Amino acid sequence: MRFTVERRLRQPRWLTFAVPVGSLVFAFLVAALVLLATGHDPASSYRQLFDAAFLSKGSLDQTLIAATPLAFTGLAAAAAFRMRIFNIGAEGQLYMGAITGAAAGLYLGGRGGPSAFVIAAMVVMGCLGGAVWAAIPGVFRAFFGASEILTSLMLNYVAAQILTYLIFESESYWRQTKGFNATVFPTGKPLPPSALWPGLSVHAQGGITLPLGAGFALLTAVVLWVLYRRTRFGFEVQVLGDSLGAARYAGVRTRRKVLAVMAISGAIAGLGGVSQVGDFAHAVDGDPNGLQKQAYGYSGIVVAALGRYNPFAVVVIAFLIGGLDNAGNTLQGASFPSGLVGVIQGIILFCALGGELLVRHRVRLVRRAGTPAVAAAPETAP
Amino acid sequence: MTKRKLALAAAALVIAAVAAVLALGTSPGSAKSDAAYKVAFIYVGPHNDGGWSQAHEDGRLYVQKALGSKVQTTYKENIAVGAQFAQTVASLVSQGYQMIFATSYGYVTPQIAAKYPNVKFEQATGTLVSKNVSEYFGRAEDTVFLSGMAAGAAAKCNTIGYVVAYPIPEVIRHANAFALGAQTTHPGIKVKLVWTNSWFDPAKEKKAAQSLHGAGACVLGQNVDSPATGQYAESVHVPWVGYDSNSAKFAPKSWLTASVYDWGPYYLKRVKAAMAGTWKPGFYYGSINDGFTKLAAYGPGVSAATKAAIAAKEKAIEKGSFYEFTGPLYDQSGKLRVPKGTRMQVLKGGTNSLYGMNWLVKGVIGSPKG
Repeated sequence: MRFTVERRLRQPRWLTFAVPVGSLVFAFLVAALVLLATGHDPASSYRQLFDAAFLSKGSLDQTLIAATPLAFTGLAAAAAFRMRIFNIGAEGQLYMGAITGAAAGLYLGGRGGPSAFVIAAMVVMGCLGGAVWAAIPGVFRAFFGASEILTSLMLNYVAAQILTYLIFESESYWRQTKGFNATVFPTGKPLPPSALWPGLSVHAQGGITLPLGAGFALLTAVVLWVLYRRTRFGFEVQVLGDSLGAARYAGVRTRRKVLAVMAISGAIAGLGGVSQVGDFAHAVDGDPNGLQKQAYGYSGIVVAALGRYNPFAVVVIAFLIGGLDNAGNTLQGASFPSGLVGVIQGIILFCALGGELLVRHRVRLVRRAGTPAVAAAPETAP
Repeated sequence: MTKRKLALAAAALVIAAVAAVLALGTSPGSAKSDAAYKVAFIYVGPHNDGGWSQAHEDGRLYVQKALGSKVQTTYKENIAVGAQFAQTVASLVSQGYQMIFATSYGYVTPQIAAKYPNVKFEQATGTLVSKNVSEYFGRAEDTVFLSGMAAGAAAKCNTIGYVVAYPIPEVIRHANAFALGAQTTHPGIKVKLVWTNSWFDPAKEKKAAQSLHGAGACVLGQNVDSPATGQYAESVHVPWVGYDSNSAKFAPKSWLTASVYDWGPYYLKRVKAAMAGTWKPGFYYGSINDGFTKLAAYGPGVSAATKAAIAAKEKAIEKGSFYEFTGPLYDQSGKLRVPKGTRMQVLKGGTNSLYGMNWLVKGVIGSPKG
């Protein structure tokens, strides 16, 4: 007897819900074994986890802070990966968006423009910053055939160096240079009040602030969905993703599309960057132990994959992963090592991603001899 | 059809089982110590990093041991500045923590302090004193100077390598103190810097140590949190001066000494004050005299003559008859920065103060801008 993994001929609808639920349940059971083995009560650990992520006072407020950037980087990855353009550079594009968006906020806000205008300019500049940074690997891919996976990844490190340089190693426009505190430890110049993004206060759980960025993320999801499902551009992009040759034969201008998709993906990540500045940090965070340590760009790839590149699903997944992320900070402590938190989070993500295989494939038990009735599918692994 | 129903039923069953486990689960930790005063410590690196965070963790355990069941302490490790710190504080406050020691600068912002007016924040190495924020640190420059003397004496060549974190005044003044110390026992010696742009990054620190050794450094020192530099030094048989904690066990042969902190007594004093309702925000700057900073026990490579020289200087520092940041002090280009007889102050004096120093002394190789 042996197991074979074969492609499903039909994908029943219920599977798209049952598989993730089953994967999560499986993950929690496996993680429970790890918790038991390390001497922790799984039930109380899980309860703490859910409390800290979604239920306890103020938890949703903090979960939204963690989820908003993940929604942007998730959407950025989804926009590109759908076309099989593997933009791994959302991390760097987010930094660039933060830098260019903050520049607009500092400059225009400092001149006393109306808040709505300043914020609009920040959004445009942030998108532009991310888009231009993403267009660099886009050009190399479209015109020279260089792998965008490598080039976009490498540019993340460049962007991180630029970010640190602007705040820590130079007296740039973005760095706070006034006051004694600024000399003790380098920080970004605080945005003027008109450049701060307003949040929507909800009177629940002791006060939840819906960041403006979260609203932009939802809007981005709608725009992406319309763009990919309802326009000629979206159709061509999907054809391109399925078969480059077929798209060319049909007259799709592939280079332009590659560039456009990279730019769209980068613009979304860049918007996530300005949201960091406008919504949360209120200054450019150049500390390598700050924004850069969060690695939102890389987590966004996981978010996009779990959301199956569907914009709305990506937003929901970002919210869940944001909760998991936020809960991790609550769970760890003197009696619960942070490494164990990482292991639990890793098991959950790994199982959720691994389970995706079962949506399109099924595992079948095959008897070795005397069962000619069960013919193996052509894709059967040896 | 039946298959589908079976799968749905199975899924529902498992969900129900998990829900039941969750519902039945009790949280034994929450009920037991509601009366205890809750104090949290937030670390930039792992609590057992063998350096900075470990020294703070020792301080936490000191408080817990001294006050027993009257306090409940915990720590959060590897916390990033910004969003993650804010999330961590929010969760600690919702769990009833009333006092938070943030052990790195950049953590507490005026916004966070204002958001939780009833929480007492204590932040290491900063200057942000306000209604509910205290700042604390100490004269490690004195003991770093003494550890520099040990490094200078052990050097058989003319270059010492010094692995440094961020190009900020705190690190710059320690690098300067280290170089001044090395120059007293080894006149004319150069101290070469490599920046890692991180408090805790063993891989980067090892690479920095490697490149310094490759560039001719025959003694290594550091102002970063992990003992990676020491482990590398041990592997190439080069003497090493640590920082923050006694980490001789990571490099028993290479270990010379280190400037170490004793945070415990300060923590205990502040927690007691907070419990008694007498806590007031302030700026604490400890020293050798009150036991806040000291020199760790020497390793095998420190000669008796060096020990005697260091002991004499330590006495002089204690008495106040010697202070390493007394003019004349020259910068890298040879320009006189601090005139003869002037003693540098902690906060006053702009770039000529301990907290504002943005220039490196003569004999240091590297850029104060990173």
